[in-house]
Amino acid sequence: MQKKRAYSFPDEVLEHVFSFIQSGKDRNAVSMVCKSWYEIERWCRRKVFIGNCYAVSPKMVIKRFPEVRSIELKGKPHFADFNLVPDGWGGYVLPWIVEMAGAYPWLEEIRLKRMVVTDESLELIAKSFKNFKVLVLFSCEGFSTDGLAAIAAGCKNLRELDLRESEVDDLSGHWLTHFPETCTSLVSLNISCLGSDEVSFSALERLVGRCPNLRSLRLNRAVSLDKIANILCLAPQLVDFGTGNYTTELQPDVLSNLTAAFSSCKELKSLSGFWDVVPAYLPALYPVCSRLTSLNLSYATIHSPEIIKLVSHCPSLQRLLVLDYIEDSGLEALASSCKDLQELRVFPSDPFGVEPNVSLTEKGLVSVSLGCPKLQSVLYFCRQMTNAALVTIAQNCPNFTRFRLCIIEPKTADYLTREPLDVGFGAIVEHCKDLRRLSLSGLLTDRVFEYIGTYAKKLEMLSVAFAGDSDLGLHHVLSGCESLRKLEIRDCPFGDKAILANAAKLETMRSLWMSSCTVSFGACKLLGQKMHRLNVEVIDETEPPCSRPESCPVDKLYVYRSISGPRSDMPPFVWTMDEEGTILH
Amino acid sequence: MSEVELQLCLALPTPNITKGFKFNLNNYHGFDHLKQMSCSGDKTSRVIKKRDFEHAFGNFSDDCNALPLLLWSGQPNEEDDNHNDRKKTTFVTDDMNDVEVDQVVGWPPIKSWRNRTCHHHHHHHHKRALGNGRSIYVKVKMEGVPIARKIDMRHYHSYQQLTNSLITMFTKNEKCDGDYNARYTLTYQDKEGDWLVAGDIPWHGFIRTVQRLKILSNWG
Repeated sequence: MQKKRAYSFPDEVLEHVFSFIQSGKDRNAVSMVCKSWYEIERWCRRKVFIGNCYAVSPKMVIKRFPEVRSIELKGKPHFADFNLVPDGWGGYVLPWIVEMAGAYPWLEEIRLKRMVVTDESLELIAKSFKNFKVLVLFSCEGFSTDGLAAIAAGCKNLRELDLRESEVDDLSGHWLTHFPETCTSLVSLNISCLGSDEVSFSALERLVGRCPNLRSLRLNRAVSLDKIANILCLAPQLVDFGTGNYTTELQPDVLSNLTAAFSSCKELKSLSGFWDVVPAYLPALYPVCSRLTSLNLSYATIHSPEIIKLVSHCPSLQRLLVLDYIEDSGLEALASSCKDLQELRVFPSDPFGVEPNVSLTEKGLVSVSLGCPKLQSVLYFCRQMTNAALVTIAQNCPNFTRFRLCIIEPKTADYLTREPLDVGFGAIVEHCKDLRRLSLSGLLTDRVFEYIGTYAKKLEMLSVAFAGDSDLGLHHVLSGCESLRKLEIRDCPFGDKAILANAAKLETMRSLWMSSCTVSFGACKLLGQKMHRLNVEVIDETEPPCSRPESCPVDKLYVYRSISGPRSDMPPFVWTMDEEGTILH
Repeated sequence: MSEVELQLCLALPTPNITKGFKFNLNNYHGFDHLKQMSCSGDKTSRVIKKRDFEHAFGNFSDDCNALPLLLWSGQPNEEDDNHNDRKKTTFVTDDMNDVEVDQVVGWPPIKSWRNRTCHHHHHHHHKRALGNGRSIYVKVKMEGVPIARKIDMRHYHSYQQLTNSLITMFTKNEKCDGDYNARYTLTYQDKEGDWLVAGDIPWHGFIRTVQRLKILSNWG
């Protein structure tokens, strides 16, 4: 019997209203209003984002949201990018595909990050979802070109195939030929991660030629410069283009053909690729430079003068990725040419060299902070820093949302004062009230964590390495950072006290990673025992943690909240504790 | 053996927790007996368990059957083909006990594929790129030889081929001096940062994980 309600909209009306609400956060809020809204909302949720594939089981997701069309899943912890998570740790997508194959026949989109994807998974996707449109595999691994061939052949309406930064086993170069001649639906194709022999260029050309809606195309390194002109002429509507090798034998026509080809691309806003750049060919880009909003030169080994020349043609630039060959002088030029710059990433050209090979210091970042008022997101690798520079940067850029500084040598102090960089990073968190992501480096004491706990109220992700003096540092962060979701720590003297004292906090976060710290096995066991909604995983490749005294520190610890209990796919080097204190393995 | 132990202590030593402090410790049973364990001590004992050197010696799952015994006259090469290496004094010291403790696993935090591209560029940018997107450049150092070499693992398809090439690379003459039988062990650093004796995993797996090579002498 239906209760009388003061305002009774029919369900269809509510559903229609909800259809305008796209963001997952808002949808979650809607579902909490009352039971009937929860019910209506769950039936019409089309898009699900799962930040940790082990936080919930596929069956649970399917049960709550029966009509999903688009799913995004993340697997391994972020530090897996730097080889800190052993191979075989987990993050397998197959169980998800198997469940969804039965439950979501109309699934259209799968986006995965840091997951293990097998050819079997890809074949199952191709077979099970008749209207499949979008496959994004970001930093994934475990599959080969055979799996790609299955996708190409099986997904008749494929719109997006994006393999960014994934590791693909090269078995055959001809998987592209598996796209049928009838496939004309491609909008986005990113194969930049593929090795040399994996692409049949003629098949690629034919594919590009018959897809009039292609907006984004990122080629792999094997494609040489002379081939690019043809491709661009086939797809002048491209908005985002990734070149292959920006090199070829010096021939008279190449530059003019290339320039003409780029000129025909009136919509081009984003460029990337640029392996092995021959600077003589860079002027071919000038026709598009004025419209460019995004430029990724992070593989280009061109030096400061050439970078300056290029960048000074790009007044609309919003996003720049570049190697530290740009040097302080190049960053100064960037600051004067590109007033719309929002994101800057500077990567090291020689990360393991002891002596600096380029003149890139804190001064470059200070120039950019001064000249680019819209700067929001920074990733900066350098070899020296001062508190004064950081304070200046913080004052110049109160709008930072992401600030990641990597001073290459661990525990490097302020090179002028020899002091820790606590005050500098403190200024960053104090001035940048919207800061969501922060990575620390250099010499840091517990004091920097006190600043972070005090000021960084919107901080969601914090990365810490070789920093701090004691558990107090960790305690400041866990007790002060209200919005904290992800915390990853390596090589810091943080142990049991801070974690156990803030155990409840861990349930409000997605995950905590600690490696080479001083958390004891006993504390891990206790945490796992007491906190039923946390999975506490101890990773040790050399020997079982229980073969040592409980007071011994664990090698690696990964704690994450979950409503599906301990996972069943743990490899031999991962241990977790269930509620009874039994160690599962 | 001790040199390999040293090489395996890659983590920076952690300082002792000496500060006293008070805060609310709910549901917290006393852990006052916890002692700070020295990281380096732990790593050493753990590592020895990981690899039984006696077992690994001369034991291959591949076709190669003579790897640990590289016989040559022991004369080092004079010239390194790449003078960029000279700048990197940490990798290229002439100390017999040269230990590359500066390289910590996963630091600086750069994704490995980016590393590969950058290294390739830095050392070979003067060469025309041949569209070889998957070169795996690995530094090779031989104990007692001041200059390290760099090789592309993609050029080799078996342990035998690799060792033959290394013998050629690190000797002045290709003739073996019969009176001077040096025995060497080829070791490698894998993706996790551990040093292992080469040859006990299939070649295919080896080239995916190898980061660096070191040839150790084995005076019998």
